[in-house]
Amino acid sequence: MSITTEVRPEPSVSPRSARRRRSVPGISADRSVRSVLLVAAIVPTAALAFLTYEMVKTAWPAVIFNGAGFFTTKTFTIGNLYATGTEVHHGYAAAKGASYGVLPLVFGTMVSSFIAVVLAVPVSVGGAILLAERIPVRLQGVLGTFLELLAGIPSVVFGLWGVYTFGPVLSRTVYKWLAALHIPWFTGPTGAGQGMLTASLVLAVMIIPIIASTTRELVRSVPAISKEGAVALGLTSSETVRIVTIPYVRTGVVAASILGLARALGETIAVLIISGNFLNAYPHSIFDPFSTMASTIAAFLDSALTDSTGMAVHALAEVGLVLLVITLVANLAGRMLTRRFSGAGLPVGRGV
Amino acid sequence: MASTSTTAVTVTTGNPSAAVTINEDGSSLLYPFLQELVSPLTAQYSNITLAPAPGGSGKGIADAIAGTVQLGGSDAYLNSGQLSANPGLMNIPIAVSAQSVYYNLPGVTNLKLTGNILAQIYQGKITKWNDAAIAAVNPGATLPSTTVVPVRRVDGSGDTFIFTSFLSATNTAWQNGPAFGTTVTWPAVSNELTANGNPGMVQTCKATPGCVAYIGVSAGAAAQAAGLEQSLLQNKSGQFVQPNSTTITAAVSAGSSNVPPDLAQPLIYEPGAQAYPIVNFEYLVVKATQASASTAEAIRTFLAWAVSTSGGSTPQYLAKENFVALPTSVLPAVNAAIAKITP
Repeated sequence: MSITTEVRPEPSVSPRSARRRRSVPGISADRSVRSVLLVAAIVPTAALAFLTYEMVKTAWPAVIFNGAGFFTTKTFTIGNLYATGTEVHHGYAAAKGASYGVLPLVFGTMVSSFIAVVLAVPVSVGGAILLAERIPVRLQGVLGTFLELLAGIPSVVFGLWGVYTFGPVLSRTVYKWLAALHIPWFTGPTGAGQGMLTASLVLAVMIIPIIASTTRELVRSVPAISKEGAVALGLTSSETVRIVTIPYVRTGVVAASILGLARALGETIAVLIISGNFLNAYPHSIFDPFSTMASTIAAFLDSALTDSTGMAVHALAEVGLVLLVITLVANLAGRMLTRRFSGAGLPVGRGV
Repeated sequence: MASTSTTAVTVTTGNPSAAVTINEDGSSLLYPFLQELVSPLTAQYSNITLAPAPGGSGKGIADAIAGTVQLGGSDAYLNSGQLSANPGLMNIPIAVSAQSVYYNLPGVTNLKLTGNILAQIYQGKITKWNDAAIAAVNPGATLPSTTVVPVRRVDGSGDTFIFTSFLSATNTAWQNGPAFGTTVTWPAVSNELTANGNPGMVQTCKATPGCVAYIGVSAGAAAQAAGLEQSLLQNKSGQFVQPNSTTITAAVSAGSSNVPPDLAQPLIYEPGAQAYPIVNFEYLVVKATQASASTAEAIRTFLAWAVSTSGGSTPQYLAKENFVALPTSVLPAVNAAIAKITP
C-alpha cells in the first residue's frame, strides 16, 4: 500500500513535465551544447559576411572608377605616385597613369590552379589507394605520416624550394625536352624555372596531401563486404579498385579536389615567389612568367598603401573580391558535381 | 635640457618624466639599424623605449598616418600627394644609404656599367654581356656572350624606388615609360627573374650566371659572400665609382646643398667626380602633432639623438648596415623639422 501511495502522484504529472523534471541536468547540458554549436556554426558564416562587407566597401570606389574596364583591359599598374596630377574617372581619382585590368590575373589564377588539380588528382587517388590497400600496414603508417607532414609545410618553404631547386632543375632538363617536342603552348624559351608550369607543379605538390589524405580515409571506409564480394566473384585487385573502390569514393574525391582547387586559387606567397610576377600580358607558353590575383595583391599592397588617392588599395580589394567570387563559384560547381555523383557511388559498384 | 630657438634651430630634448614607448614600423632596410639604437637610446634616456618593426615602407607610412605607430620608416620620401593629403606629416632623414649593382659573370671583375645600359638591360634591349654598348665602356675587358638575366624585386621596395629613379635619370625612354616608384610596371624581358627582398636578390643572382641585380648596401656583405661582383657605375661627371663612405658622402654633399623644406630630396645621379650615383636618405615619417607632451618630447629627443654624431649617428651603429651619417650641412634643416614635433 505504502508503495502505491508513494507512486500515486506520478500520473498527475504530465508526461512532458515529468520528462523535464527527470532529466533537467541532461536538458540544460543539451541546451548549452546546442548554443555552443550554434555559435560555432554562426562564427564562420559571420566571418565570411563581415569579410565580404568590408571588401565590397573597400573595393567600391575602384568598382566605380574602373567600370567595365576592369574586365576588358590587360594593364594592371598603380601608376606613378611621384608624378603630378591624377587620373579621374567617374568622379574618383587615381595616381597618374594608373590602370587596373584584372583579366591576365584571372587567367593566370584559373589556369595554374586547373593544371595543378589535373596533375594532383590522379597522383593523390593512386597514392591514397596504394596507402590504404596495397602496402603493409607498418609502411602505411610511415608513408601516411609523410603525407600529413607534407600538408603542414608552410607555403613559403614550397615557394623557396620551387624557385631555387625544383624550377631551375626542371627548366634545364624536363622543360628543354618538352619544348623540343613542339607541342602547342609548350614552346619557346623555357626560362630559368620561374613561370606557369613550375608554379602549377608546386601548387600540385601543395594540394596533393589535401586530396590524398581525404581519399585515403574514403578508401578505408569502403565496406569490406563489397570488396570481399568482388574477390569472391573472381575479380583481380585492379578490377576491384576500378569497380568497387573508385565508384564508392568518387563523390568524396570530387569534394576533396574542390578543396584542393580552392587552396590553389588562393595560394599567395609560393606563387608570388615562383610565378615571375609578370603582369599586363598573357603568357605565350606554359613556361612563361605570369601572375595570379592573390600574388598580385601581396606584391602590390605595400606600394599601394603609399598611393594618396587610395585607389590602389581599393583596386586590390576589387581584385580580392573577384577572387572571392571565383572561389565561391568553384565551390558551388563542386557541390553540384558532388550531388550528381552521389548515388552513383553505391558500395555494390556498377557491375562488371 | 636644451631650449627652443627659432634662429639657431635647437631642439628641446630630455628624458620625459613618464615612460614613453616610441613605436616604429616600416622599411626592412632601416629596421636593423633602428634595432642597433634601441639599447643605447634607453641607456641615455631611461624613460624612452624604441620599438621598431619591419612591416615594409608603405605599411609604416600608413601606420604613422593612422597613428598606430609614431614613426614610419621609409627608403622613399613621401610623394606630394601624401604630403598634401596629410598636412603636418614630415620626412625626417635619419641616415644615408646607397645601392650597388651586382653581377654574376665568372672571370669578369670591375665591370663598368651606366644607368643607360642598365635601363636598356631592364627593357630587354641589351640581352648579351658582350653587347657593343657594354664593351664600349669596358675597353680591354673580355666579355662573354652570356645572356644577361636582369633580376628585379617582386615585392614593393625602396630599393626598386631608388634603382628606377637612377634609370629614369639616365634614360629618357625609361623616364617616360615605367618611370620610378616602389613598384613599377616592368617591361617584358624574356630572361628576367624576380626575387623577394635583398636576401632573395643575392640568392637568385648567385644561382644564375649572367645575372645583374640591384642590392642595397646593407646587404653588401651577403652579396660579397655569395661571390657576386660589384660593378662600377658611371656618375654624372662620367666617372666610374663604387659605393663607399667617400663616394656616398660626395653625393650627399652635392645633393644636400639645396634640400627643400619638406626634406624630400632624391640623391640620385648627383654631380661631382667622386659622387656615387645611387644614394638615398633613409627616412622616418612622423606627424608634427603628437598625442601628448611627453610623447612629443620623447620623439624629438630620439630623433635629435639619432642624427647627432654624439648619439646614434656614429660608425659604431651605422657601419654594420654600410649606412653613412647625415652630412652636417643638412642637420640644421633636419633639426628644424624635428623641433616642429609638438603636442
